[in-house]
Amino acid sequence: MLYLGIDVGSVSTNLVLLDHRLNVVEKHYIRTRGNPIKAVQESFRLLEGRYGDEDVAACGTTGSGRQIASVLVGADVVKNEITAHAVAALELDRDVKTIIEIGGQDSKIILLRNGVVSDFAMNTVCAAGTGSFLDRQAERLGIPIEEFGDCALKADIPVRIAGRCAVFAESDMIHKQQMGYNQSDIIMGLCEALVRNYLNNVGKGKDIRPKVFFQGGVAANKSMKIAFERALGFEVTVPEHHKMMGSIGAAILARDAVRKNGHTRFKGFSLAEKRFESKGFECEGCSNHCEVAKIHENGMEIGCFGDRCGKWSNRTMVSHSMAGSL
Amino acid sequence: MKVTIPHMGNVYIAARALFEGLGVDYVIPPQNSKAALEIGSLHAPEEICLPFKIMVGNYVQAIEQGADTVIVTGSCGPCRFGEYCEMHMKLLKRLGHQVEFIVVDAPKAIGLKELMARISRLTGSSPRSKGQKWHALAQAVRIMRLLDTIEAKAHERAGYEKVRGSCKHLLRECRQEVYRCKAPEKMIKCLHDYNKRMDEIPCDNSARPVRIAIIGEIYTVIEPFSNLYIEDKLMDYGISTKRLMTPSWWVGNTLMSPTRLNSLSIKKASRDYLPYNIGGHARECVGEAILSWKSGFDGAIQIFPMGCMPEIVSKAILPTIARDKDFPILSLVVDEMTGEAGYITRIEAFVDMLERRRSHAVSGY
Repeated sequence: MLYLGIDVGSVSTNLVLLDHRLNVVEKHYIRTRGNPIKAVQESFRLLEGRYGDEDVAACGTTGSGRQIASVLVGADVVKNEITAHAVAALELDRDVKTIIEIGGQDSKIILLRNGVVSDFAMNTVCAAGTGSFLDRQAERLGIPIEEFGDCALKADIPVRIAGRCAVFAESDMIHKQQMGYNQSDIIMGLCEALVRNYLNNVGKGKDIRPKVFFQGGVAANKSMKIAFERALGFEVTVPEHHKMMGSIGAAILARDAVRKNGHTRFKGFSLAEKRFESKGFECEGCSNHCEVAKIHENGMEIGCFGDRCGKWSNRTMVSHSMAGSL
Repeated sequence: MKVTIPHMGNVYIAARALFEGLGVDYVIPPQNSKAALEIGSLHAPEEICLPFKIMVGNYVQAIEQGADTVIVTGSCGPCRFGEYCEMHMKLLKRLGHQVEFIVVDAPKAIGLKELMARISRLTGSSPRSKGQKWHALAQAVRIMRLLDTIEAKAHERAGYEKVRGSCKHLLRECRQEVYRCKAPEKMIKCLHDYNKRMDEIPCDNSARPVRIAIIGEIYTVIEPFSNLYIEDKLMDYGISTKRLMTPSWWVGNTLMSPTRLNSLSIKKASRDYLPYNIGGHARECVGEAILSWKSGFDGAIQIFPMGCMPEIVSKAILPTIARDKDFPILSLVVDEMTGEAGYITRIEAFVDMLERRRSHAVSGY
């Protein structure tokens, strides 16, 4: 009895297997690299042979690639990241009041009251402070991203960096480097700028109360955690599986869905070996001119996305995933 | 003279009826699409609000089909919409298009005489008698009201329908069929027919769907392209939605405004939070939030274009209402940069939140 959760994000695809007591028995983190189909297949290849199809009692998908992933694997539930993260955090600790989640391309704040989501916000126009920006800065400074946080911990006096915008933050960093400030002070300064930016944009007007969970890939960065603690004035908890919280949430939600429906739609691990193709075209049916993407599995159409009217997406079994998404 | 109008929801259907009734030559621009928005974004100032850009696209596409006169409503109100017609005129002239604008505005702003003079520029080219012209106008208003009624029913009943998607499907079919009718009399008959069919959609009246009010800036709530078809999406999710802002509401409200008796319930509801008219429909937005809370809705979604001045004020007020009344409100800002993935995630998460709040209240833990 295992529950499978897949979080197909912009930067990484995360996969977890939970046992019946919701302990993580398997977790895999794979870079999406713009190809969600391949990423899901790759992660399945790591499990194939070690687990049988019948071991999986439920399967859920989340993340920005949740729809496409659900068609590939036959998901029981397709859920947005906000709900998935909230469910996973509440399972761990019912007293969580705030979740700070920073992923590859977006950052979110989720407020929880009495064990239920009461408010949330997402970054709208700015991606400064998200994972891909930190990735890029680490690369530019020639520090592996894994050591980025530790490097900042050595800082004595963080330099003040303009963090309003990713492009300006970068130019300001270069400027500070050229003025001769030391690297760790600059990195810590950057982390503080990103936290300030997060609290001013995403967290604007939100009542951030402890206990705070810091989730998503960026939570691995110790200096970001410290910068948040300094700005908020209280402790911030980074859960053990912080990178996997989305997929853990999807797995838990899938378990609940199967309990209700009685059976799983999971298609099995063999998809790793199947041939998937996606084709895009512009529908000429009306003046909307929707851009439709078709997914083929070994030459057979398994799903369509992107049309407004349902002419294409209703043809295949995708429609069930829409229903399952709520 | 070949007239055209910019798109806003179903207005084009009523406009077609009016022009057919008057017997004037007209062009309805192609439905709003990325193509129209791309034309608009290319020519319009970058910081201007989304409706302006889409409308530029409509005009250019209509001109390509031979339109030479634009009929549009104006406003001297304190919001950028007041500058639309002047800026559109200048912009189209700069692009080398020779088009006339007939700007219909409230008599309060331009005087009754001027209004009649402007209207006669349209009606002057009509070969029909005076009585026939009035009849054409009355029919167009009737068609607009019927369309708004049918649409509202579809949005509400989507939460109760037994077969998911039947309301959405029928609404879509209705729009296409009515547009095909051409003659105003036939259109009205067709609408009555669909109105009846909408009532007959099998519904489960014991269902307790999540109910959401759609509030905010008038263009972006009415024009589905601008809000990325939010009402269709909510219908897909089986949510019952309600939107007060409709073209016919606007007509009624504008006609009544000189008497100050328009939208009294909204004015009263907004009194505690925003007692003034600050332009646009900010006061209406605040009032509707309160009214929808009072009538037992689960939450409200506010939609407005990036940079909309009045709605920014109401957006700042809504969190206070949400806190005071324990009534969740989601604000969505739309412009040509709006990424659909994040937009959908927010809507889905909001719906989830409302559902979970409810099941939580029932289970009481």
